[in-house]
Amino acid sequence: MDKIAVGVIANPASGRDIRRLVAGASVFDNAEKGSMVLRLMAGLGATGVERVVMMPAGDGVSARLVRALEGRTGDFAERPMPALEFLDMTLRGNATDTASAVAQMLLKRVAAIAVLGGDGTHRIVAKVCGDTPLCTLSTGTNNAFPHMCEATIAGLATGLVVSGRVGPEALRREKLLWVSRNGDPRHDAAVVDVAVSGSRWVGARALWRIGDIREFLVTFASPSAVGLSAVAALLEPVPRSARHGLHVRLADPARAASVLTAPLAPGLIVPVGIAGYRRIEPGEVTRLEGGPGSLALDGERELELAAGDEVGVRLGEGPLTIDVDEVMGQAARRGLLNGACPSLRRDIHHKEAVP
Amino acid sequence: MSEIGKGELLGSYRVMRTIREFEERVHLEMATGELEGFVHLYAGEEAIAAGVCAHLNDDDRISSTHRGHGHAIAKGCDVKAMMAELYGRQDGLCHGKGGSMHIADFEKGMLGANGIVGGGPPLVCGVGLSAKVRGTAQVGVSFLGDGASNQGTFLESLNLAAVWKLPCVFVVENNGYAEATSSRYHQAVDDVAKRADGFGMPGIVVDGHDFFAVHEAAGEAIRRARAGGGPSLVECKVTRFYGHFEGDQQTYRAPNEIEDARATRDCLERFAQRVVSAGIVDPAELAAIDGEVRALIDEAVAAAKASPWPDATDLTTDVYVSYR
Repeated sequence: MDKIAVGVIANPASGRDIRRLVAGASVFDNAEKGSMVLRLMAGLGATGVERVVMMPAGDGVSARLVRALEGRTGDFAERPMPALEFLDMTLRGNATDTASAVAQMLLKRVAAIAVLGGDGTHRIVAKVCGDTPLCTLSTGTNNAFPHMCEATIAGLATGLVVSGRVGPEALRREKLLWVSRNGDPRHDAAVVDVAVSGSRWVGARALWRIGDIREFLVTFASPSAVGLSAVAALLEPVPRSARHGLHVRLADPARAASVLTAPLAPGLIVPVGIAGYRRIEPGEVTRLEGGPGSLALDGERELELAAGDEVGVRLGEGPLTIDVDEVMGQAARRGLLNGACPSLRRDIHHKEAVP
Repeated sequence: MSEIGKGELLGSYRVMRTIREFEERVHLEMATGELEGFVHLYAGEEAIAAGVCAHLNDDDRISSTHRGHGHAIAKGCDVKAMMAELYGRQDGLCHGKGGSMHIADFEKGMLGANGIVGGGPPLVCGVGLSAKVRGTAQVGVSFLGDGASNQGTFLESLNLAAVWKLPCVFVVENNGYAEATSSRYHQAVDDVAKRADGFGMPGIVVDGHDFFAVHEAAGEAIRRARAGGGPSLVECKVTRFYGHFEGDQQTYRAPNEIEDARATRDCLERFAQRVVSAGIVDPAELAAIDGEVRALIDEAVAAAKASPWPDATDLTTDVYVSYR
């Protein structure tokens, strides 16, 4: 039988956009991302995962991981750790790296993919991962889709799922907003939000001026998130599990009938004028105002729109994600971590031998 | 982002096209042997100088690098005088005494190209301190490369600017090579911007081939500095179209690396395609600028060649001590 393999994507580039300049967004050290992968692997190893397939990540991520793996000593070195395999690929330093890596991982039949990054990284993975479950890990405070979660726990939860000890009831079907443009029904997609900006240029990408945004759609609206999902939640919270999403139209706060105070980015709380909102249902296509302007996907301007461009957004099914809280809850209730996992038994034997 | 007017778009295109034409012509003139000394060409990196300097006025100061022609043009230096300077003639911007690597024009706030790698950042700390003490709204911008980012002068300047909260912006033009050494061999991290974290200032990364990305990021960094928010670091990832210096055989670069960059990451092509697609600019307007710039560079070269050489009496002028 093939060894159970889990894929790992750790985006080395996340967390360096203009929001660090204009909004005080957090920075996330790449060495810490390498350490997170190590801790994730510890959780995977403890639950019997024997192989990790990782996208080679520059800028210190892979280097830190390899150094940490090689530098383990004492008890830590004795702990079971999956074999680490880096994908053989040429990195181009852009989003195509992530998409290519996911494609290779699917060919290698990974049982799940752990993603360390922001909304943007998860967006790229979500478009191409099919029904391979994702373990989402946020590497920063500016995200709504991935979770802030200790990587060790995420590794344990992922291991319990891919080894079959926790069933599909711990997987959550996410939503995607598919963007059509000029007849191309799947031009792009977003996992959290699609926004129409009056800014003609993609520019520095991050969406951080509320005055530029005319309207937006969200897959879910979380009051405790940051960004457009939080703005929508102040109108009507929408759980991730709900089938519907929201379409919100904005107005100049000086003339709007309703004005919200909302966290657009970490440290950036702004007045938001509301022109109206409505629910969007699965399969429904919402026509958006065309150009001139730009379209932002999950908080980053991605497409420049010319006058006459026809843009529509359809709410559809997204990827499966691992609900870490649910998995660990089941593990506790069902005693899945009672006793020693087979991979840890030698630890106990070792300790028993010590008087 | 605040919209950029058509006039400013055309102005920025003219700046970028002027830099490109200037550098392509210098490349050809160097091959004839008529130009003496070293030159380091800025072709490929035009969006950075144009995107940053669009937010500066003559009172603001920039420090440049050994690859300084683009910065000088974007800061408003006279192109004909620049060409004459490269030819070492009396009509040159520095009367033929500076050459390519020390070209300067204080009236335009161009403190000079600099043959010392990492020499610019401390100068800009001086600019920032001066502005702060005198209470002016001036901003100092230091352009530097990824190689210079390994110099102590850069790191000390980051510290000084941060601790004194100086109105400075450090623009790192990361073209992936320190002379002939790939950044993979001279830096343990890919992003120079991360070094800002250690000094308590924001550091961000933008695509240096994209005028609009640079323009927006630099605009915010400069606005922040001018408003008293302190220094910041903007790293622009970019590709140079020529070698470290003219004559560099570039054996350290991958096959087709430059051809690929010219085909896919030419900032001028990208700019033109986007402003035309947006329906803001007519291709004929860009073509007209191209023609005017070509004529300007032709005139600049002809005038430079016709300009007299400095004579012996010029040796004692433009120095700190009066010899007369």
